[in-house]
Amino acid sequence: MGAVSAAVEAALDGLSCESCGAALNVAAGERTTRCPYCASPAVVARPRSAGEEPTFVVGFVIPEEDARTRAKAWMRSTWFVKSGFKEADVTDMRGVYLPAYLYSASARVGYTASIGENYTVTETYTTTDANGKSVTRTRTRVETEWRSLSGEWSAYLDDVVVTASRGLHNEELEAIEPYDLRALRRYTPKILSGWLAEDPSRTAAECATMAREEAVQQIGRRVSAFMPGDSHRELRYKTSFAHEHGALVLLPVWVLAVKYDPEQPAVRMVLNGQTGALVGRPPRSWTKVTIAIVAGIFALALVIYLGIEA
Amino acid sequence: MSVGTCTRCSSPLEREDLRCAVCALPAPRMVEADGVREAVAQILRCNGCGAAVQYSAEVQAPKCDFCNSVMEIETPDDPVEQAEVFLDFTISDAEAREALKAWLGTKGFFRPNDLQDRAAVDGLKPLWWVGWMFDAHAGVCWAADSDAGSGRSAWAPHSGRFEMRADNVVVPASVGLEAEECRELVPYYDLARNSTEPKGHPGATVEQFTVQRSAARRIISRALEGVARSRARNYVPGSSVRNLHVSVLPSTLTSKHLAFPAFVLAYRYGDKLYRAVVHGQDASCVLGEAPIAWGKIIFVSVAIISMIALIASALV
Repeated sequence: MGAVSAAVEAALDGLSCESCGAALNVAAGERTTRCPYCASPAVVARPRSAGEEPTFVVGFVIPEEDARTRAKAWMRSTWFVKSGFKEADVTDMRGVYLPAYLYSASARVGYTASIGENYTVTETYTTTDANGKSVTRTRTRVETEWRSLSGEWSAYLDDVVVTASRGLHNEELEAIEPYDLRALRRYTPKILSGWLAEDPSRTAAECATMAREEAVQQIGRRVSAFMPGDSHRELRYKTSFAHEHGALVLLPVWVLAVKYDPEQPAVRMVLNGQTGALVGRPPRSWTKVTIAIVAGIFALALVIYLGIEA
Repeated sequence: MSVGTCTRCSSPLEREDLRCAVCALPAPRMVEADGVREAVAQILRCNGCGAAVQYSAEVQAPKCDFCNSVMEIETPDDPVEQAEVFLDFTISDAEAREALKAWLGTKGFFRPNDLQDRAAVDGLKPLWWVGWMFDAHAGVCWAADSDAGSGRSAWAPHSGRFEMRADNVVVPASVGLEAEECRELVPYYDLARNSTEPKGHPGATVEQFTVQRSAARRIISRALEGVARSRARNYVPGSSVRNLHVSVLPSTLTSKHLAFPAFVLAYRYGDKLYRAVVHGQDASCVLGEAPIAWGKIIFVSVAIISMIALIASALV
């Protein structure tokens, strides 16, 4: 990872509003705030030694109303959910700049695999023809010859993105990726003004480990596509990374909460603030699922019964 | 304009680059942020009315809610590139016409007898077509099937690695000429005869690049992979090859934007128009289409069939 210092953990105080002079208290791990008296949006500028400055930002493209509409449409399209979820209102909604690392490296891979090369075998067999006579015929079948292969694969890896926030898991981020990184901009506080912006809450080492795991998965797909032959199996590869670099990037994310039942915890949805891709875990109604399965089995049994009767 | 090189892959970086186009390493900031001694909460103010401004997703920039003015944000500069090196025109219009006429005379038996005399040039357009020329050094890994060492199957897998140096590889970006035409013209250019301004034919059209820099780099990367694939073929043992895959790790990749001189001619034979391209530096290189004498083809075909029939009947 690039030079990464520890995340800023402590809340910042002693800051004052540039507009009205009121005292501001910036929550731990946040980069922006709003004055409680004059509502002026402020972005915290820190000395470079206090923490890593983001390198890039991707700006919000999806406005609040659009994000709300997409979330409602997603809720209505879910199946077998608990009563009230489809019609529930979004109770909380925040546009957040999520800290993430944009990882890149050069990768060298040594692999071994068993490569399947197909060939056709013609064989003769004896069968009985329509007149009951024994006849000899030929047929072809495809066989595979397995040959071992070892070699190297190398390439630059780019656009591996992993979360640097403990508030949003990497699986959730992967579910709303990809971000169009052609829209990357150099970090400027201007883009953050008026929005929540989080500081990294995961260490650089943690993020580097996650990024390497994601990179290894990506390499696996690419090395698999690199294999010759008609098929392959037992692909094993060992990757070494060099020139690794992680750039801190702020990504736009809408986080929405839906309270469909006062007795139940709110359901969280996360929406990509650039593309609108959404991930959430709708509350499943196991009663509805069971009824659907039983009804399905009953319908199948009925069809089979009618078929037998006919 | 290059302002330095990438510390990971040594490829040149442009002033506006956020990341290296070859290996994606973030480019260093050209201007360091002004020093902040202690944490401060800064408010972004509208340049027009002084009100506090916040970023608007609708306009993708900070927008003032009071006076509606929008603040500009520095966006990545991704310009459409311009030719920076022009190869000189060294043959004139008259020489181009002569070259076409001479070429028509070499088209062979299956062309009309009077092609050279009756073909009339209907239009002549001198132009500089554009393309990128790159130099690269890369490590190439390859894997493929070939007939070498094959057993029961006709194919056996092979793999290998080699270092590749590619110099002066031209990637056509022309809209007016076909990519294949450009590739055929390239070997006849004298790259030493060049200047930074169009030279040798006043009034000739200079084609424009039609893609932005980022897209151009992707095209060049793909072309480098194409070169690697064709070179890798020489390393695969055996005579038949399939499933040739390459992975390319460039250590340097530099490119220039060139303009290449050529003449596009339209000539008429009978009532039909044909197109030809004459090289702008070497009149011996002419490409294009020419009419076919179908009568001769039918006559020869009938003669061959008759002869075969005659021989067959004699043998029977």
